[in-house]
Amino acid sequence: MVKKWLSRYLSRKKLLAKSVFSQRYIVIDLELTGLDAKQHEIVSVAWVLVEQQCIKLSTAEHYISKEVKQLEQSPVFHGIAQQEIGQGQSLSFILNKLSCYFDDAILVFHNASLDWSFLKNAFKSNDINVRPKLIIDTFQIEKKRLLQQGQEIALDDLTLAACRGRYQLPHYSNHHALTDATATAELLLAQCHQISCGNELKLADIVKVSL
Amino acid sequence: MNNEQQEVAQFVKMQTPFSQIDTSATDYFVAHVDSIYLTRENQTQWLQSASPKLFLIRSGLYDLVDAKGDVITRLAQGDYFGFPSLLTGEAIQNRLETQKEGIVYMLNQDAFDFLRREYKLFEQYFVRAHANRLLSSHYKSQNDSWSERKISELMSRKAVTLLPDASIRQTAKKMKEHGVSSIMITEFERLVGVVTDRDLRNRVLADEIDPKEAISSIMSKKPKYIFENNRVFSALHLMLKHNIHHLPVLDEHHKALGMITSTDLLRQQKSDPVQLIGRIYKAHSIVDLKRYAAEIPELLRGFSHNIDDISLIGKLLSGLTDALTSRLIHLFQEDNGAAPTSFSFICFGSQAREEQTLHSDQDNGLLLPDDLSEQHQDYFRRMGEFVCEQLVECGIRRCPGNIMASNALCRMSISDWCERFFKWIKSPTPEAMLNCKIFFDLRFIEGSNSLYTSFCEQLTRISRNELFYAAMASDIKSNAAPIGLFNQLKLEKDAKQHKYIDLKKRGVVIINDIVRLYALKAGVRRANTQERLDALLKYPQLNKQDVYNLKDCWRFLTQLRLRTQINEEGLPSNCINPNKLNSLERHQLKEAFYLIKQAQQAAAFKFARGSL
Repeated sequence: MVKKWLSRYLSRKKLLAKSVFSQRYIVIDLELTGLDAKQHEIVSVAWVLVEQQCIKLSTAEHYISKEVKQLEQSPVFHGIAQQEIGQGQSLSFILNKLSCYFDDAILVFHNASLDWSFLKNAFKSNDINVRPKLIIDTFQIEKKRLLQQGQEIALDDLTLAACRGRYQLPHYSNHHALTDATATAELLLAQCHQISCGNELKLADIVKVSL
Repeated sequence: MNNEQQEVAQFVKMQTPFSQIDTSATDYFVAHVDSIYLTRENQTQWLQSASPKLFLIRSGLYDLVDAKGDVITRLAQGDYFGFPSLLTGEAIQNRLETQKEGIVYMLNQDAFDFLRREYKLFEQYFVRAHANRLLSSHYKSQNDSWSERKISELMSRKAVTLLPDASIRQTAKKMKEHGVSSIMITEFERLVGVVTDRDLRNRVLADEIDPKEAISSIMSKKPKYIFENNRVFSALHLMLKHNIHHLPVLDEHHKALGMITSTDLLRQQKSDPVQLIGRIYKAHSIVDLKRYAAEIPELLRGFSHNIDDISLIGKLLSGLTDALTSRLIHLFQEDNGAAPTSFSFICFGSQAREEQTLHSDQDNGLLLPDDLSEQHQDYFRRMGEFVCEQLVECGIRRCPGNIMASNALCRMSISDWCERFFKWIKSPTPEAMLNCKIFFDLRFIEGSNSLYTSFCEQLTRISRNELFYAAMASDIKSNAAPIGLFNQLKLEKDAKQHKYIDLKKRGVVIINDIVRLYALKAGVRRANTQERLDALLKYPQLNKQDVYNLKDCWRFLTQLRLRTQINEEGLPSNCINPNKLNSLERHQLKEAFYLIKQAQQAAAFKFARGSL
């Protein structure tokens, strides 16, 4: 047990010393019926891969869960109608697909604490054992950056759109999970570029959330 | 896979040509595209010739820069780049410079080709965009002449060399191995000869020479060469003048770097003054010559726009005048029979120094052997008159001082010329000094080089006269640099009370005079001031730093002078109002005049001590 823990610790340490620019990332976005992982559900899951600073749009995937029981938020907001859910996939199918990437890609979320808690629960209830090698959170990266600049952070300063605005990234009006995953991927690249200033940037420099 | 990249699709759909073709093209594009965040740090990694891509800009600002570093265009949202390589399969020539980083979509060759095949409008759009790009860059390349580029930029192949004791057969084998038509023969890394395909044919096969013989027996010894830092223009001029097709390129330590061929140059050639020189050297009639000469002012105007080293213009114009003169001499001989004896057609003054401007007049003369019969003298009189008259027709004015080969005083035997020079040297009157300044800058143009060389040797001998140097030095000192005791610029005033400084008379001319004096003393047989200074670097009596200072001053003043020639406000030519300069330029100007003043004093101290 200790041995296993130790080897995991060491490999994580090794990983953290690597450059952020050469890694493979899977950027994930969820649509949820609410903010509480204990009572709300996952509506859809979208992801896109980033390899060598290149967002592989052609690898992007998006699945709607057919198990979702209640759409508490406005369905128009999600762009998903109740009838589409009927054509969706089972959550275990989606989670199995997603987990395939966990071995060689680093997970990226915008606000991981929310999305990852939903995913963690979902994996557990579907008996899928996952152990992501690392999770990166563009929300936390931004928060840390703003705090370091001595700025006061208002409630909506860290939304995806607000963060992107700071890097003059294009404004996206729709909030499809796939759009948000892509938007998060772009934000990650912009943040890494901004923080590195042309210098070397290690994963350890942008990781704040530990597993 | 699920294509729901709505934001990307919406954006792409709005761009031409996608806005004009079926939505399926947009869908295909979105399904196959990658997205990057393009920054200054990673801008080079995406443009790879091995895997060309189509780029569509979503956000950010980027400059498209050509191989020479000139900005072709600025790219922003909705602009494409990278398509020329996708269309032609040629290597990527341009590069990107990020002005503001942002998102760029990237499509690979396969997907691009699919869209080209499936959608005719897509194909048309990019073929047309490519044609436009070519047009605009062609337009640009007409303005900036390739001939001012450095030789080193054109050299692609590495030097192929052999030692002089290699056999002829070994040489041929090595040439075959490297696929070259010429080879350099070097000894201790220094160029001693050149062998070309033609030499192997004419000097080996045709003469039945044993291929086991050493290559040194048939090589062209003491070949012409050029330095890597010289301009392409100079290389072409050399080749045309001597009718050679291979020119070895050396570095400043005379180490062989490679060979440049006339084909290399022609490949670069489009339309510019160099081509004109080429045409002049081949002209068959006076009518042709005049027509070509009429093109000179126009061509020069285009040429001078973005030239970084302005002294090149003087060289170029002198090159054109040389070419015209030399061709006229040939045409004269075609009509009147070859010259009965050897002769040298020479030039003086600004043409010799290669500082000609469009307004310069003729300064030339004929150098003849001693004891010519009257009949021969008459032949050369006609030659002199013909050349000078036709040069006037070609737009080069008569010399007001009558320094022209048509004048009997400038068409003399070596002994007579020497006597004339000797008179000036012996009795340095102000008038004699004035003549010396013109006639001691002389350069060979056409005819017998050995006649000219022997004249130069005699001239060096008779001018070795300390009193003469002293006279020149005090003459130089009498033309004071316009700077006062406390580093104040001394301005002159014209009739309308404009204040100005004459950059030519009070600056460039003084430097030319000083350099001429040192060159005479050191026996440097060049006329161009910069070349004289280069040669003087090896001369122990002059401090290296002083030489560099004079070079810098000369260049600075020449640049300033030519710049003011372009935009002047009612001042005499070559004059400048220092108050119109910015503070850095004014400081540099003071510094330049200060250095000139010092050099004047140093020359007076070195040469005129006795007479002061």
